[in-house]
Amino acid sequence: MMTPETPAFLTGRALPRRTILRGIGAAIGLPFLEAMSPVTAAGAGQGIAPVRMAFFYVPNGIVMDAWNPGYEGKFAELPRALKALDPYKQDMLQIGNLTHNTGRALLDGAGDHGRCCGSYLTGVQVKKSVVEIKSSVSFDQIVAAEIGKQTRFPSLELGMDDARQAGDCDSGYSCAYTNNLAWRSETQPLPPTLDPRALFERMFGTGRPMTPEQRARQLMDRRSVLDFVAEGTHKLEAGLGPSDRRKLDEYLSSIREVERQLERSEKENTQIDPHMDKPYGVPADFAEHFKLMSTMIAIAFQADLTRVVTFLVTREGSLRPYRELGIADGHHPLTHHRNQPDLMEKVRKINEYHVQQFAGFIEKMKSTKEGDRSLLDNCMIVYGAGMSDGNAHLHEDLPTLLLGRGGNTFKTGRRMLARRETPMCNLFLTMMDRMGVRMDRFGDSTGRLQGLDLG
Amino acid sequence: MPQRGAEKPAAGVFFDTDFSTIDSVLAVGLLYGLQGKNNCRVAIVTVSRPNLAVVGFADAVERFYRGPAGNFAQVPPVGMATTGSPGETSPAFVEPFRKKKPDGTLVYRNQVRSVIDTGDPNTLIRNYLEAQYDGNAIFVLSGPATNLAAALAFPGLKEMIGAKVERLVIAGGAFPSGAPEAHIGADIPAARKVLAEWPTPIVASGYEIGAALDFPGASIDKEFAAAVGDNPVADAYRAWRPMPYDAPSWAMAASLYAARPDEGYFKLSGPGTIHVHDDGRTSFTASDQGRHQYLVNLPEQKDRILRTYVELASAKPVPRQRFRPVDAVEKPAIPGKQ
Repeated sequence: MMTPETPAFLTGRALPRRTILRGIGAAIGLPFLEAMSPVTAAGAGQGIAPVRMAFFYVPNGIVMDAWNPGYEGKFAELPRALKALDPYKQDMLQIGNLTHNTGRALLDGAGDHGRCCGSYLTGVQVKKSVVEIKSSVSFDQIVAAEIGKQTRFPSLELGMDDARQAGDCDSGYSCAYTNNLAWRSETQPLPPTLDPRALFERMFGTGRPMTPEQRARQLMDRRSVLDFVAEGTHKLEAGLGPSDRRKLDEYLSSIREVERQLERSEKENTQIDPHMDKPYGVPADFAEHFKLMSTMIAIAFQADLTRVVTFLVTREGSLRPYRELGIADGHHPLTHHRNQPDLMEKVRKINEYHVQQFAGFIEKMKSTKEGDRSLLDNCMIVYGAGMSDGNAHLHEDLPTLLLGRGGNTFKTGRRMLARRETPMCNLFLTMMDRMGVRMDRFGDSTGRLQGLDLG
Repeated sequence: MPQRGAEKPAAGVFFDTDFSTIDSVLAVGLLYGLQGKNNCRVAIVTVSRPNLAVVGFADAVERFYRGPAGNFAQVPPVGMATTGSPGETSPAFVEPFRKKKPDGTLVYRNQVRSVIDTGDPNTLIRNYLEAQYDGNAIFVLSGPATNLAAALAFPGLKEMIGAKVERLVIAGGAFPSGAPEAHIGADIPAARKVLAEWPTPIVASGYEIGAALDFPGASIDKEFAAAVGDNPVADAYRAWRPMPYDAPSWAMAASLYAARPDEGYFKLSGPGTIHVHDDGRTSFTASDQGRHQYLVNLPEQKDRILRTYVELASAKPVPRQRFRPVDAVEKPAIPGKQ
């Protein structure tokens, strides 16, 4: 750990990007600070922040009349499902007409939910089987394999719903297809972490799991992970300029806030239902859970702990009711609405609700500064689904939002329509370029997606 | 007992055309009539010239026959080449969109506003071939071979065509020899490439076939009108030329043979190789190793063919059924048989 006698902002010596605050059982990466850039004659930090990408996947399709505005080009009024993103619409690109042909039945009959999630990031039609799993390396993992050595974690896989890896989750498709987005090989999915406490310990721990006794002691002491790195923090702060000090303080505060949320939810969990079938730290409240997980994604990007994240918000075929919205029916059955207005309205509310949670994450990304830009500017955050109309089980015009400018290269603030049947994998190929990974083809791509770039 | 959906359905037809003749419009109606009889399934329609008006009309025809998107099924976009000349736009592709219902609303809606609303032919062919069983797809070409030549050059598609396609039927050329023919002459390099490299048997339905089988235009105001009040195919026919007129049936003959090859409508030549000359003429060299054949008119079948044209092309759209095994084929009526 660097403890300069003369502050870095005065000496011009750069603080290493991978500086870590260490303490007993704790290892905290740092956000991008001006002190990490060599100071030039002009006095401005010139470090270029890396591009990061994340995928937020929502299941069971969308009621598309609430998703698609009736226009193309610059955003005017956003459609109902996207209203919560209104403050960030200048950072957003809505892409229409992208298709996953591999999500369609082709010759495999029923099972659109299993297929569409399995193919979403892999671009292949997965093998219809409960036992003989076969997919392909997902594109996030191709990127992670290429650039992952530069960060503490090559990638992070998160979820909120179900991490079962066996059994039949849709008409003969294994749960491995519905419950994973990331695939390391054609037979090895990367199950998502559901438990925010486990994620927190992974991100800010030393890599060695805590014993139950250690965890109990820490909880009893009510000590924050920040307490264990306090000494290093003070030394570091002494070497920073005022702007960096403020940034560091905000960053550590956000970690502390996550800790507080975790403690709160863990306490509530035991009060609500001690027999609830959930991992230790998983909050009962959807919004709380989403906020915890997504805040940690933002922190992971901020500290450059990883540059690749997949987040399976809930799984295809999810039966989750949304009682917080007054909806007692399961999500998936509701999406088979047969165009009944009352059922469609409930699905629209769920679609809106998901986007509202996502907007909270975008707010955090947007308000986090990184050099002269926001953290969001340096990211590509895709929010999407493997089906458009969940009632008709359609795999074209997939709901796709791209937030962030990918390092200030995307022209945002508009709805862009690709040609009908344009493969979703064309977008992935373009995103790979931004991540510094060059491939000629991926999945069923037919080329790069045109029209995303700044003019 | 096979699982539901495990049986082979009727062959999927890929219809590629430039819509330079009215009979290629009628052929779409004919193919949907054949689909209604479970003789084939219309997979996609692709257009080999960049003409949005033509493609917009083709899209409206697709929507007319397929109905709205339903469970597990969408109306696929019409494929459109983006290079080459747009060519002429006949009133047949424009007038139907001006037709109004008694309440003043439009009968047909043109949903193709720009190239975005069309599909890339290669991508469409690839995507919809993937949904066909091996050897259970048929291509019908009624226009320049531009799109099919491009498909052969698209990564992986030639191999897929070899696996999935049973045969290609070309409405073009003149056999065994004859004057230059427009479809072949419109893109000679593409015709040569397809004839040389297409990985399945090819059957040509030459100029002389369609020229000898004039579609009876009188049926437009009789059988068509009786089956469905507003039919875009019939409305296009009315706008193509001043009525009444009969139309040669090059694309219809090729489509009929494609979906019903064993019904004896035509005689088939022996195998050989079709050559394309620099002036657009074709000639045929017989050879046991050849993968090409051509259709020969049977004058005694003429009335039967024309009746079949009218019956099928004027038929009311039949809602598509998802699982319809091939043995559910409704056999065509054969004169003299009970």
